[in-house]
Amino acid sequence: MSAVELNDVVKRYGALEVVHSVNLNVATGEFIVLVGPSGCGKSTTLRMIAGLEEISDGTISIGGRVVNRMAPKDRDVAMVFQNYALYPHLNVAENIAFGLRVRREKNEVVEAAVNEAATILDLTPYLKRKPADLSGGQRQRVAMGRAIVRKPKVFLFDEPLSNLDAKLRTQMRAEIKRLHKRMGVTSIYVTHDQVEAMTLADRIVVMNAGRVEQVGSPMELFLNPANAFVASFLGSPPMNLLRATVTSLNGEPAARIDGVHTDAIELKLPVSFVASLEADQRILVGVRPEHFSIGPEAGAQGQPIAATVDLVEPLGSEALLHSRIAGQPIVAKLETPADVRKLSEIGELKIPTDRLHVFDAASGKAVSGHA
Amino acid sequence: MASFNLYSRGDRIFGYANAALIGLFVISTLYPFIYLLAVSISSGAAVTSGQVVLFPKDLTLAAYEFVLSDRLFWIAYGNTFIYTFGGTAISLAIMIPGAYALSRPRLRGRKFLNLMVAFTLWFNAGMIPFFLNMRDLGLLDSRFGLIIGFACNAFNVILLRNFFEGVPKSFEEAAKMDGASEFQLLWKVFIPLSKPAIITVGLFCIVSRWNSYFWAMVLLRGEEKIPLQLYLKRIIVDLTANDEFASSLLTNRYSFETVTAAIMIASIIPVLLIYPSIQKYFNKGITLGGVKE
Amino acid sequence: MTSRFVGYFKRLGEDLRRDWQLYLLVLPMILWFLLFLYKPMEGLQIAFKDFSPFRGISGSPWVGLENFQTLLEDQIFIRAFLNTIAISGLGLIFAFPVPIILAVMFNELQNEFGRRVSQTIVYLPHFISVVIVAGIVINLLSPTTGVVNLILSSLGLDRIYFLTQPEWFRTIFIGSNIWKEAGFESIVYLAAIAGISPTLYESARVDGASRWQMMWRITLPCILPTIIIMLIIRIGNLVEVGFEYIILLYQPATYRTADVVSTYVYRTGLQGTQYDLATAAGLFNAVIAFALVFTANRISRKVSSTSLW
Repeated sequence: MSAVELNDVVKRYGALEVVHSVNLNVATGEFIVLVGPSGCGKSTTLRMIAGLEEISDGTISIGGRVVNRMAPKDRDVAMVFQNYALYPHLNVAENIAFGLRVRREKNEVVEAAVNEAATILDLTPYLKRKPADLSGGQRQRVAMGRAIVRKPKVFLFDEPLSNLDAKLRTQMRAEIKRLHKRMGVTSIYVTHDQVEAMTLADRIVVMNAGRVEQVGSPMELFLNPANAFVASFLGSPPMNLLRATVTSLNGEPAARIDGVHTDAIELKLPVSFVASLEADQRILVGVRPEHFSIGPEAGAQGQPIAATVDLVEPLGSEALLHSRIAGQPIVAKLETPADVRKLSEIGELKIPTDRLHVFDAASGKAVSGHA
Repeated sequence: MASFNLYSRGDRIFGYANAALIGLFVISTLYPFIYLLAVSISSGAAVTSGQVVLFPKDLTLAAYEFVLSDRLFWIAYGNTFIYTFGGTAISLAIMIPGAYALSRPRLRGRKFLNLMVAFTLWFNAGMIPFFLNMRDLGLLDSRFGLIIGFACNAFNVILLRNFFEGVPKSFEEAAKMDGASEFQLLWKVFIPLSKPAIITVGLFCIVSRWNSYFWAMVLLRGEEKIPLQLYLKRIIVDLTANDEFASSLLTNRYSFETVTAAIMIASIIPVLLIYPSIQKYFNKGITLGGVKE
Repeated sequence: MTSRFVGYFKRLGEDLRRDWQLYLLVLPMILWFLLFLYKPMEGLQIAFKDFSPFRGISGSPWVGLENFQTLLEDQIFIRAFLNTIAISGLGLIFAFPVPIILAVMFNELQNEFGRRVSQTIVYLPHFISVVIVAGIVINLLSPTTGVVNLILSSLGLDRIYFLTQPEWFRTIFIGSNIWKEAGFESIVYLAAIAGISPTLYESARVDGASRWQMMWRITLPCILPTIIIMLIIRIGNLVEVGFEYIILLYQPATYRTADVVSTYVYRTGLQGTQYDLATAAGLFNAVIAFALVFTANRISRKVSSTSLW
């Protein structure tokens, strides 16, 4: 039995449909991350699960019970909000206890639960403080304390880290992951940050324009994106997509990369694609930035391709090359050589043929071919 | 052009002139109070002979002794406390929950009810129908009538409602997920979060209750129920024209003028006492209500 | 069609069951509005009746617009109406600019402490009741012991019994209103001034503007929207005059300039028990007030893109 199940869930505001028929099964104990650009419907989906938004169509069940018209409090879920929603007039202990107090739990029960949550979250020294006197990370932990103290079946997180600075975000991300390991509660987490999604999720749900684009483990999605959207959404910097047409080169499949203000360039495609491609088909050729290489030492498989470098951004051990292939902008990520300036003089990049992705240009769907 | 002063000479002259004008306004604001105080602690003879302009003459508390020994003064004072605090309590008890409900989008008919409240800002039945209605309700000459009849007003309801609407949505959602009932939500979340607005409205209520006299004059009959302002009105306004009464008061120690000044000072004192705490909030209240009047 | 209907009522029922506490919370207030502000509107019909308290509202016969006709032929009512407009209009001309000037002056005051103290003082009269203000006015203007007359007589001038002279009434009324309210009303403008970005002043100073120039070219233009809105509100309330204060200050000798519609209603209705006529006069006033406020709101919605309520 799944912990949470969404069947053809639709959300409409008047005539405007913002979530189209979402299906999702979340297993007990699983950490699911809904990720996508803003306005993709991920938050709305989460809020429908929480009971904060009504469901226009379809069913949502939690623990096997259909909860469509059930009030949030009866769904046995707890939520961590983007702005934490900590009550400024209550101290940390009272904030954490709020959910139990309104349910009129006995004092001893409340105190024990608050102390336990505070221990787990390292909040014990701050229990008497008001939210205004806490740091961003501490507030975040109080918000989580308020959720865990209720011991719900499901945790819901609505972009909980987006109000923190970059350093704290990395730290809290690890803490959320630890917490999940320790408590093992089913969690559904919404974010627009693909790094959070990759690092936290057992399975990622990529959403776009109210639809689920792909569901799978982080590495599955990274290695085998089902479509160009997923491919370009995950990974940093994102996958390069070059517009091209299918041709053949000496009897083997190839792509003619469209020239922008310049000549087209031919690029060999893996032989395994041959069955799924048609001549003259418009496609997008995907190359991950980190798969580019230079020079002979980087491996023999790469086929050389002419590239002009516009700009080099050194990041330390690696550098980003903003370059153009056949006039189309791409980003390559390379190891920084001893002399960074050398990178700007590069005239060609090597592309490993077997790591290329191909997407149909019209539908965006991945062309299968990988082993 | 170049000047080493932060301000040019012209700017400094402007500053002094401005400060002087404000000083003048401040003095003319304060003068009547100082004058009243001076009259109230001067002897009746000095006042009637026109010797008190700014400083008191022949210091005496005789006028206060006279006022404080008047039984009716104490009754009126007590009544005003009842009207002020009872009235404010009832006002808040009705308006806070009402404004809260009106601020929630899930309240069906909310638009209509909001319009119903706002409409009374633009139009009301007027003095006579209101009076006849109070009579029909059996609320003439009744302390309760005077309190309940003026419990709400649209301006305060709208001010509270706007404030409740501004409370971030996630507070309510978090509390709902925690299982708070509507009453708990109001009591444990919205009221504590809306303290500035509630105190502002409370202070508005207190001030207007403390200062009002008109409907007490219209609705009340007996002397036993009148508030302080009506007591004041009867003495200051109605009896001024009554020379007989005025001269009956005239002794060397106090006169009609010193007695009325003493009554006025006595009724201003509570206002002065809470004034500092009001001050903190009415700035806020004005900005809360925007320019709504 | 019917199923949609049934669905609607089903959802309505579910919502009511779910949110019953919310409806319970709003109920007392709604009842209050109905009982104390809407039920009296039923009594407005006596403006169109020959009302007798013994026969009651429903028992009194309809007379159409007869009461209004009587009013419009009544010189006293006409006078009261014109006085209302005159007092309001004069107030608009003389009292309206004062809080603006005060706010600008406060803003120019450099000394923070002096500014706070003087603001605290000028706000104070707003919290003093009209009865006391009237008492102060009566005291200060008293022909025998009042300061004003003491000064006049020491200058060798004749004493004036101000409160019995119709030509003095409006000056006294508007003057004391300025004393009572101008300081407090300046808060709105001060709030608007506080919203002006300090960089505007800083860049003007770098450009060499004097304080006088900054006042005219930055402060005033920036608070102009607030001024316009307040002006519209004021015009919308043109038929509202502080009658509770007038009642305290006027006397038969000054009715000629002091009697306004509300005081007329009070005298004919509550003191004279001519309920029907007084109700008609009140309704006359209320309808004009409503039209003015309504128009003012319309205009302000256009001017400021935000409605007043």
